[in-house]
Amino acid sequence: MKASRKWIFQRISALIIAPLIIWFLISLISLSTGDYNSVINFFSKPLFLFLTIILLIAGFFHAKIGLDEIFEDYIQDEKIKNVANLLTLLLTTIIPSITIILLLYKF
Amino acid sequence: MNDSKNPLSPHLQIYRWQVSSLVSITHRITGILNLLGLIFICAWISSAGIGENFFESFSFFLKNFIGKFVLIGFTWSMSYHLLSGIRHFFWDLGYGYEIKTANLSGIIVIIGSLFLTIILWMIGKGLI
Repeated sequence: MKASRKWIFQRISALIIAPLIIWFLISLISLSTGDYNSVINFFSKPLFLFLTIILLIAGFFHAKIGLDEIFEDYIQDEKIKNVANLLTLLLTTIIPSITIILLLYKF
Repeated sequence: MNDSKNPLSPHLQIYRWQVSSLVSITHRITGILNLLGLIFICAWISSAGIGENFFESFSFFLKNFIGKFVLIGFTWSMSYHLLSGIRHFFWDLGYGYEIKTANLSGIIVIIGSLFLTIILWMIGKGLI
């Protein structure tokens, strides 16, 4: 991805994440002492399910761009940098994918 | 710092910390912590998706001391990165480059992140 495009996408994803993470953290804190049914009820609401999925996609995408930037600054060896980029690409796609599939399957 | 004529490049052990550098490096560190936080959130969601038994084990962890500490830690880390990110947005728009303003906004980010953490927990617990 071009650096200028990364710059734009980093900021667009940040704008999406900002309101959603505030909402999700409050919900998580509230649900953290609740029972299984309260969590099931939460994700059973189509809007909440939708917002959570958007948050996960935007969040991991934003994380991937940020990690690339850190690797760019601290890893000199091109080969090691490529391996690091590939590993984090796998990490930041597989984990949210599994979670989203589970969410869609369950709710 | 000493008054020697030859300038020295910053070295970790003699580096003089300033608000600007502290806020900057903390933005990166909290960014990495937030990725761990996202993975933690995924684990929590997935446990509920897999079944009640898995969820209850995760819940048991969340309700004890260490779990609470982790959750408060992630709340702070995300609060910090959010406020520091807003500071970056102002820079992108061309504001806040003066040293005095940048130092002040840095201090606001540090103190504000603590306040935001407390506010989010109070709302989450139904106290506000």
